[in-house]
Amino acid sequence: MFYPRWIVNLAKGPSVLRRRAGSRPAKTGVPARLFSRSLAIRHLDAGSCNGCESEIGLLGSPVYDLSRFGFSFTPSPRHADLLLITGVVTDAMVPVIRATYDAMPNPKLVVATGDCAVDGCVFRGAPGVVGNLAEIVPVDAWVPGCPPSPDDLLDGLLSLVGRGATAGEVG
Amino acid sequence: MDHTQELTEVSLLSLCQRAVKDGNQVLHVFPDHRSVRVVLWRKGEGEITEIDVGPGPHARPSERGFPSLRFVEEQDFGCEALEPAAAEREVIGEGMHVVPLGPVRADVAEALRYEMDVLGDEIHALTLRRGYKRRGVARLMQGAEVGAALEIAERVTGTSTVAHALAFSLAVEDALGLAVGESTSVLRSALAELERLHSHLGDLASLAAATGTVVAAADLYRLRETVLRFGKEWTGHRYLRGVVSPGGWRRGIRDTSRELPSFVEEVERQFVAVRRSLDRTNSFLDRLHGAGGIPSKSLELVGVVGRSAGCNEDVRWDLPYAWYPDLCYGRRPAGWTTGDAYGRYFVRCEEITQSIAMLRRAGGCGAASSPPPLDFGNGLGYGLVESPRGRLFYRVAVGGGRVETCQIRTASSINWVAVPLAVANHNILQDFPIIDASFSLAVASLDL
Repeated sequence: MFYPRWIVNLAKGPSVLRRRAGSRPAKTGVPARLFSRSLAIRHLDAGSCNGCESEIGLLGSPVYDLSRFGFSFTPSPRHADLLLITGVVTDAMVPVIRATYDAMPNPKLVVATGDCAVDGCVFRGAPGVVGNLAEIVPVDAWVPGCPPSPDDLLDGLLSLVGRGATAGEVG
Repeated sequence: MDHTQELTEVSLLSLCQRAVKDGNQVLHVFPDHRSVRVVLWRKGEGEITEIDVGPGPHARPSERGFPSLRFVEEQDFGCEALEPAAAEREVIGEGMHVVPLGPVRADVAEALRYEMDVLGDEIHALTLRRGYKRRGVARLMQGAEVGAALEIAERVTGTSTVAHALAFSLAVEDALGLAVGESTSVLRSALAELERLHSHLGDLASLAAATGTVVAAADLYRLRETVLRFGKEWTGHRYLRGVVSPGGWRRGIRDTSRELPSFVEEVERQFVAVRRSLDRTNSFLDRLHGAGGIPSKSLELVGVVGRSAGCNEDVRWDLPYAWYPDLCYGRRPAGWTTGDAYGRYFVRCEEITQSIAMLRRAGGCGAASSPPPLDFGNGLGYGLVESPRGRLFYRVAVGGGRVETCQIRTASSINWVAVPLAVANHNILQDFPIIDASFSLAVASLDL
């Protein structure tokens, strides 16, 4: 059973690499569809209120079950395909974000999560707050919300890799 | 160290210790212009007093002044090490090495750096480096309109939104001499208890996940999700944000008097089943008993962490606000004495049951309407509430509809001091995730 399937797969090539009509590569030039069946996510807190962490934590619960899409959280940036950044981006976290991004292998994606990471939310202009993530690392997708619900997060991630309801639109 | 600074620090420390000995609680120590102010509260009495202890030009007393709390500044990251005492921290020896962890760590975790001095498997010391996520909350609130300041207060700690909004509102109401009606008080308490419920369920779920009891973790996460969804139906926000306001309500909320009792009953039924199975799982209990015991009884700890270590204090009983005089009648705060991970697990479980009982008693919550327009005068007020993680203190000065100054003292900022002591108390590296999950403190409330 295994070998016939293997030969067919070899002949057809990996299906996710063939771009369908309508889908677009990410703004940063990374073909996000590469990750549509397997995505290792590294979360990074850049100054959040822990509301986003609470919602991201629920993605692993049986209600949302992130793993059924082939997505998983990874403790190391070396194994990560996607950097999920929450929070207002504080001065102290800027070198940490850069170091984490540099440690990730290519190709890689970055998602700004929550209103804080998108535009600073109520903390815009506060001392020690950069507020704009795009100045530090290239951002592929934005998931707004304060905090974004696990539904919003799943929808954002699936759309980014070309599997969501709005596939091809995000990124 | 500067001589003046040392003098101020020592005198401030002894002053705080003397006040505690006299039966007072030190709620906050903060710099005000060029002098230092200490806010004291005598337990069992309603009045909060404030004393001016004179100038402290160089010291940073809001952090340094607390008994058994000391910060050593680090230049490189602009971050500070939080440690109980420098002398206890020095660990030298053959085979000793440092295990660094953070600020990017675990699967999903807040930014904080742990440096563990380890020999073999045993952790001998832990240094916490903080300051990665300072958002300048107090500075941002200065001069902000009351409504805008309330929005910032709600975002200090996302999982304690109601507690922060309520403490801020109580402080503003205290400053302006406002009183709220009975139905508002009942609803505020009900929202605060619903928040405690989802927060404790989440903490227990992460504890179960840390000990490898994945079935219980899945059950508790699912239960938490149902509570969050109920909150969304009730108030329009999963974390009950944008509802509590000085003088009443920011927006109307739905009448849930019919659904609430049956909902909490179902939550209780499911929670009791999960707890029973956990209490019968030796592999779970064995990891908790004796892990992360808090060694010193002299630490002034608050909240779940304090109550699990014999400090029986709970603002809901000691200085009842909102509808708590009625809700707490005939009940006692949950407590345990060992101060280990099991104690914190036990207290959380008991408090979940208690919150459900309070929600049932609050029952019959009607719909809320919008607040009347506030006539803003001037004044200084205090707000003291029991957040899910413990005592939360707000001191707000209001003038002409704007916040002049706002000082915040969160439970986590007090309790983080106990973490290095508890971790470096005959525990091994494998215990660390369990101890960390059993404390479940927020870094967002430490780095304001």
